[in-house]
Amino acid sequence: MTNPVIDNIRRSLGRTVQSPIEPRPVIYASRQAESLESDMEHFLDEITKLSAVGEQLSPKEIDSALKSLVTEQNIRKATVWETASLRQLGVAEILNSLGVELVSANADKYEMAQCDLGITEADFLLPETGTLILKSSHEKPRAVSLLPRIHLAIVRPEMLRADMHQVFAEAKYSNYLVFITGPSRTADIELTVTLGVHGPRNLFVWVVEDRKNHHN
Amino acid sequence: MTHEVPTYIGFEEYSERVPASIPSAVQQATNRFVSGRAARVSELPQWEELRQIGSDIRLHTIEHMDVYLTRLEEKVKAAGGHVHWAQTAEDANRIVLQIAREHNVKTAVKSKSMATEEIGLNHALEQAGIQAIETDLGEYIIQLAGTGPSHIIVPAVHLKKEEIAAIFSEKLDMNAPADPIELARIAREVLREKFLNAEMGISGGNFLVAETGTLVMVTNEGNGRMCTTVPDLHVAVVGIDKVIPDWESLTVFLKLLARSATGQKLSTYTQFITGPRCEEGEFGPKEFHLVLLDNGRSNVLKDPVGREVFKCIRCGACANVCPVYKNVGGFAYGWFISGPIGAILSPQMLGTKTARELPYASTLCGACADVCPVKIPIPTILRHLRRRVAQGDAIALPTMPAPIRVTASLASLALTQNWIYRFGTRLLPTLMSVFRRDNWVPSAPYPLSRWTKARPLPPFTAGFRNWWKNVRSAKTKESAR
Amino acid sequence: MPKAQLFITCLGDQFYTSTLQNMTHILERLGVELIFPPEQTCCGQPLFNNGFEDKTRPVALNFMHAFAKSDAPIIGPSGSCVSMVKHHYPSLFKEGTPEHTLAVDISSRTFEFTEYLVNVLKVTDVGAVYSHKVSYHASCHYLREMGLKTEAKTLLNCVKGLEFVSLKEEETCCGFGGAFTVTYPEVSRSMMENKVKDIVASGADTVVMCEPGCLMNVAGGLHKAGSKIRAMHIIDLLASREDTL
Repeated sequence: MTNPVIDNIRRSLGRTVQSPIEPRPVIYASRQAESLESDMEHFLDEITKLSAVGEQLSPKEIDSALKSLVTEQNIRKATVWETASLRQLGVAEILNSLGVELVSANADKYEMAQCDLGITEADFLLPETGTLILKSSHEKPRAVSLLPRIHLAIVRPEMLRADMHQVFAEAKYSNYLVFITGPSRTADIELTVTLGVHGPRNLFVWVVEDRKNHHN
Repeated sequence: MTHEVPTYIGFEEYSERVPASIPSAVQQATNRFVSGRAARVSELPQWEELRQIGSDIRLHTIEHMDVYLTRLEEKVKAAGGHVHWAQTAEDANRIVLQIAREHNVKTAVKSKSMATEEIGLNHALEQAGIQAIETDLGEYIIQLAGTGPSHIIVPAVHLKKEEIAAIFSEKLDMNAPADPIELARIAREVLREKFLNAEMGISGGNFLVAETGTLVMVTNEGNGRMCTTVPDLHVAVVGIDKVIPDWESLTVFLKLLARSATGQKLSTYTQFITGPRCEEGEFGPKEFHLVLLDNGRSNVLKDPVGREVFKCIRCGACANVCPVYKNVGGFAYGWFISGPIGAILSPQMLGTKTARELPYASTLCGACADVCPVKIPIPTILRHLRRRVAQGDAIALPTMPAPIRVTASLASLALTQNWIYRFGTRLLPTLMSVFRRDNWVPSAPYPLSRWTKARPLPPFTAGFRNWWKNVRSAKTKESAR
Repeated sequence: MPKAQLFITCLGDQFYTSTLQNMTHILERLGVELIFPPEQTCCGQPLFNNGFEDKTRPVALNFMHAFAKSDAPIIGPSGSCVSMVKHHYPSLFKEGTPEHTLAVDISSRTFEFTEYLVNVLKVTDVGAVYSHKVSYHASCHYLREMGLKTEAKTLLNCVKGLEFVSLKEEETCCGFGGAFTVTYPEVSRSMMENKVKDIVASGADTVVMCEPGCLMNVAGGLHKAGSKIRAMHIIDLLASREDTL
């Protein structure tokens, strides 16, 4: 079956189907990981520069942290990724106890758009740019980090990767990935930076680890 | 700016009618981006290395475009997506319309896409009774305003907040305040309802990864995610020149793009979309259509010099440093793409009859080539295209108006037959003395009047040859005595 | 005693007699024996840059034949003209032809004036005296095509009494661009006016540059704006022995 576009390309380039294909140019080594503490510091530093809020917490502190968040941000409706890790931390239960109405993560778009808060994990973290990387699946819906006005990502230090190279090597066969680097923003009107145009206005990133295992 | 493909781009005429507000507004944007870029570039000691690799990979891909596009199609289909090939703009519009009709689409939400501006997709949809709503804030504003983009990255930068408030007030039937944050909030509310109810999301794409059939979108506002996540149907219209070999290559381009464009390390959202959603119950489009747009690109590939234009990753850095662009803004370039890259792409895609003025819209200063993240040799390509206009080449006949070609022939003659030149040189000071006032020639007849309108000429002294022959050698003879 | 050929450029020929005389004086003071081939006209850059490559070829041949009579290096007071010869002449002729061989030879021994002083003669101090506040406009082809990023400032550094002030937009094009001033006069004017504003804002009383083309444009623009700031070719400044204005 001929494809006129491909045919025209070949004609223009003087190529045939049998023309040799040279390998593409080599790309050199990527950034090396520093120590976990150092990379985490970079990561949180970048998060702050992006006008997002980053914190390091132990699992026990989640309760009070959520309480503050709900109060300060006036959270009435929330939706949470139904993943093992977030279940283990008891996020849904805590929200329930705070009187927050929980919307299923698999609810339809109209319901999701009503939510004030969407809570996810992250599959990977990049320290150089303060980036969260999220995959997509039935239990990790894309809408949770997109439709509510506030996005909270509860992440673990093990998710840190030195560079994009590592992330791609591990995740390139996913059907969907999103890199989130700060809250939604624009400078379209007179170059005034405005946050929260269409995506979430606020981004909170909580790095949770068991302090008992964390040596100073 | 209309949806129609221009039949002639009168850069000179446009440049004479630039509204007074444009240069200062454009320069505010470009200054911000230039200093941002400088800061980000200084953070990466391997910047020059990245530029070279980026250039090499893009060139390699251009030279093997058939291979990578074939692989791309295979992979997109394997992931459950549909692939359509659009040879012309009409083909592309027809394909998108057909998809829309098959799905009973009444409203489509659009993420920023220069390819769709190139083909005039919005107009084609409107004609068919389908509402096509731009959702990128800048694009939304200019859609309401009915004008074209003045800058690749911030298309509405030429409008003041008061003007935007007036546009919102009129078109949205409300009392919009002249405050950027409030205006953005209004746009968010209005467009949110559209996102939720639209049957189709239309996007462009920054890169197409052949290795896995992945569409990469680099955005900041979240509307790109909304358009490609919320509606059940996602249609992406992407130029064939956007294909890259693999994910490893992406690491280079993602490091180059945001830094060069806005001075960010990475844009807020970068999406990697491979086909429609995978699982039942997964949030995301049920159907994914990729429309690959040729529209003359495959013909441009014939020219080994000109085709380097396809290395472009649409960062806008060239425009940000171009002193010509900064003084005229985007409209003067007559089509969807402006600045130095526009000056070398439009003449190749529209031809040197329509766009014969564009390759000359430059002083060849070279500032653009210094900042291009993929090392496109813009001044070289400008000269190459000027050659096409002035004397023609393998691709096209000359289109330079006859009077200019005649002048060039006369000049060439005078400069080759050096007795003519030397005779003229002896004559000119006498001829021009009538126009001399003190140490200047403030006005002179056509064509020199085109110079003197803006500033005086220095006087025609032309005394060196005589001095060397008669005065200096006499002195030398004297001191030798 | 080194020999050199004077490449006076068409603009120098028409408008800058004293600059060319100063170039002669400076080089002779440095012990260079000068030759002036009178058959030279123009390097052909205006034709070449506007796409008239075929019409440039005979002009280039005239240039090369004029300067081929001697094997001495060729020195010009213009980065763009020298760049034309150095970087574009060989590409005008088919490889393997005698014209191409000649072009390669000529291009290999053509130098811009400051390049010749600093990089070939290894001279940075020519004994100049100029006690003024001086700013510098880096001409585009001189800076980018010729890659001369430090030579002019090195020479200015050794001028007695000179106080250097930087232009904020030192490397921004002044709008001359050869024929650009007459093809798009409005845009050229805007660019020139921006450059003038920048020079005035620097507080300098002199602005110096290494291109006759830029000089024509900027000097005219400063005069039109009613400014008393003096625009000079670097050669004239380097020839200055007393405080003259």
